[in-house]
Amino acid sequence: MPNVKPPPRRVTTYKIVQGIIGVVLAGYLIWRLFVVFIANPSYGPDTWARFAIAGLILGSVYALVAIGYTLVYGILRMINFAHGDIMMIGAFGGYFVFEALKSIPTPTLADPELTFLNAHPALSVIAAFIVGVSIAALSGYFLEKIAYRPLRGAPRLVPLISAIGASIFLENAAQLLFGAQRRDYANPIVLTRGEGWGIPIGGSNVILTYTGMLTVVISTLIMIALYMLVMRTRLGRSMRAVSENKQVAALMGIDVDGVISRTFIISGALAGAAGVMWGIHLGLVYHFVGFIPGIKAFTAAVLGGIGNIPGAMIGGLFLGLVESLGPAGLGINFQLKDVIAFGILVLVLIFRPTGIIGEVLTEEKV
Amino acid sequence: MKKQLRHAVNAGGIFGIITIFLFLIGFTGTAADLFSDLFRNKNAAPFLSLNPQMLNMLIFLGLIGLWAGAYGSRKSKSQTNDPWGAALIGGLTAGLVHGLLVCGLALLVGTLSLRGVRINVYLSEVLPDAIKLFLVGKSPLQGATVHIVFLTLTGFLGGLLSRGVGRGSWRVRSGAAWNSILEKISQQSIVKQVRGSRNTRYVVYGILLLLVFLLPLRAGPYWNYTIGTVGIYVLLGLGLNIVVGLAGLLDLGYVAFFAIGAYTMALLTAPQPHHLMWSFWIALPIGVLLAALTGLLLGAPVLRMRGDYLAIVTLGFGEIIRILSKSDALTPFTGGPSGVKAIGFPTLFGKPFNSGVDFVYLIFLAVLLIIFVTNRLQNSRVGRAWEAMREDETVSRAMGINTLTQKLLAFAIGAAFAGLGGALFASRNVFTGPEDHNLMVSINVVAVVIVGGMGNIPGVIAGALMLKGLPEVLRQLEDYRVMVFGALLIVMMLWRPAGMIPSARRKMDVIDTGVTETPQEEREP
Repeated sequence: MPNVKPPPRRVTTYKIVQGIIGVVLAGYLIWRLFVVFIANPSYGPDTWARFAIAGLILGSVYALVAIGYTLVYGILRMINFAHGDIMMIGAFGGYFVFEALKSIPTPTLADPELTFLNAHPALSVIAAFIVGVSIAALSGYFLEKIAYRPLRGAPRLVPLISAIGASIFLENAAQLLFGAQRRDYANPIVLTRGEGWGIPIGGSNVILTYTGMLTVVISTLIMIALYMLVMRTRLGRSMRAVSENKQVAALMGIDVDGVISRTFIISGALAGAAGVMWGIHLGLVYHFVGFIPGIKAFTAAVLGGIGNIPGAMIGGLFLGLVESLGPAGLGINFQLKDVIAFGILVLVLIFRPTGIIGEVLTEEKV
Repeated sequence: MKKQLRHAVNAGGIFGIITIFLFLIGFTGTAADLFSDLFRNKNAAPFLSLNPQMLNMLIFLGLIGLWAGAYGSRKSKSQTNDPWGAALIGGLTAGLVHGLLVCGLALLVGTLSLRGVRINVYLSEVLPDAIKLFLVGKSPLQGATVHIVFLTLTGFLGGLLSRGVGRGSWRVRSGAAWNSILEKISQQSIVKQVRGSRNTRYVVYGILLLLVFLLPLRAGPYWNYTIGTVGIYVLLGLGLNIVVGLAGLLDLGYVAFFAIGAYTMALLTAPQPHHLMWSFWIALPIGVLLAALTGLLLGAPVLRMRGDYLAIVTLGFGEIIRILSKSDALTPFTGGPSGVKAIGFPTLFGKPFNSGVDFVYLIFLAVLLIIFVTNRLQNSRVGRAWEAMREDETVSRAMGINTLTQKLLAFAIGAAFAGLGGALFASRNVFTGPEDHNLMVSINVVAVVIVGGMGNIPGVIAGALMLKGLPEVLRQLEDYRVMVFGALLIVMMLWRPAGMIPSARRKMDVIDTGVTETPQEEREP
């Protein structure tokens, strides 16, 4: 249609308000940056480096979880509300593997108290990942089969409510099964939390923790693998086709239900890996562990443009960074770091509902 | 035959997993307690060396076993003949698989605990006593044998029973009989007259009201507290009903407005931390207005997005309010984690409303007022606009409805009701703190609205009674309540997306679209 002119831009009250909010926020941000870096630098470069490292580690976990949201949203146009709880299931899977391996004695001459966990740390970590990922993938599969598949084609609110129900159910089932107490993740000694390589920055030692580096490396590998899967394989092509248009995909001979199932398995696996990493790096598991990361990862997915896989990765990293740099940069209490994430979500929705990079399929969704 | 067998094995597997899950969350023991309250057989003599508690648990397991058998013997669509063979094989197989799984669990748990492994370190409900009860006081091997034999038998019996009474047809027949009786009754002229007249409705309502108003006088303080809580949840449910049920916007941060109402009431009337000590009657409208205003402010940016964003943003907003009220940064203003104490109570014509009974009446009054307002709203132009918007936003816009204004209005009115509920709640409890306003409140209210019936006043009342009142009656089930809410949300969506008491329009809707039978196509709002 070459002759259709775009409609003239109307100046509505909403746009004026949007503009005012934008100017105020931008002004505040510039002023804060000025204060923090030039007028009154309260933190040295080493502290900023610490914040940035913590943010990147956290962000890589968020990115993994966010990809799960985005994959499912891209295909079903629904928020898999229980995704964070699948992450919790993965974290518990890894926890139980560590606990089990910790109780297997493998005494050597040098150390009669040695357990399997410390004798073979690499094997143990691999086992934890395998178990955590498979349990989470399995729960993703059954979640879709029980709670979402029968509702395919129902009005939008219906599967969303079902997803919320699933989330509540999983959280509380986990509480009833494992108790409400927070449990320490028993890492192998090699991966003791807080220990790592020291890097001298600005006269003091900034520690790159082993657990953190493990998290970043593994999540990067997983993300690359996933990108290859989506872009290069047959399954990836059919996933993209289904997310484009289900009917046409079905006409082209794609088993739509199978693809959706597999998407849930993949997204569950990603959440499971994120859960195990969360446990290894942050060290606590409990029934509610997936809730806040889940919401934040959703924020990350929205930030990157929901339905957009590279967007979710970037959104996750960005959110992690903002969350750890934000309280210091904006000069607010560290207790309020969760507020920043939610605040960003609201701001993104006000200014750029399609996310930083933009959604893949915008026109039919907004 | 092969198909039947596979179905039976599946059924046995599903029920086996359910039974194992119920044991692991400690529900088998709770169910046994419940049965012993029901049968009053706590001190009965042991039977076959089984004490009453064990018998009760076996009764519970037997019920599940019967169900498993009945489910496993269900006829597959393709096969019509040989009902008895199917019943025998289906029930037996389902029972056997069910029994095998449970027997495996019993063996595992029993041997582990004999070896001195403290399972409850990891699975907190699997206490030594629970294991002993589960193994009916015997060795693991004997206990497991009891389970496998018992569950196979009950499965078999369940298969026989379901086939014996001719399951499907029986259900249809009884339904038809029931309908024809109803039909006959309603054909009678007197009934018709009574039903048709408006006065009957008023008389029924009058009687109900009278009962409701007499109730608090007879109930003790504990029950008055419970009634009051149910009343407040009716308020909240009616408010959310406008947002979710009528306007079709899913709000998961409803507790935020509740918290704003509660904190306004608390900060304005309490001696600490501001020493304002205003009157209840001034603080109440301020709380309601503030909640509505917050609703407007939050809704303005978000409501132009698609619905599922709204769910997450409101959820985040609810958490923000809770985190803020708890944080050190606002402690001088909100009292921080320790909350606000000594919140003022209302006085009317010189009479202080500080006893439990008085407050129940105040809540009743508020509920009546809100029911009236909701009713008027629902049948007004605004209400119809909301419902039109819920059904199809594009079409309603074409009909000249300003959807953004209407959404904002719905959001603000819903928020105002929540503010009212919060203010009453704070004043009644004399205390409010951050933990009164956690996510669970939002989830409870969502569950009340959805289980009761979206867009429908009696539905919401029934939902509040069922979800907030019933658990108080069955106190043993308290631990499982929230989990059941979650399961209920899924189950309602799968089987009755319109709720227990569907509103007339919703009912039409659901029959129309028949959620499960729709072809696989996207119905975009």
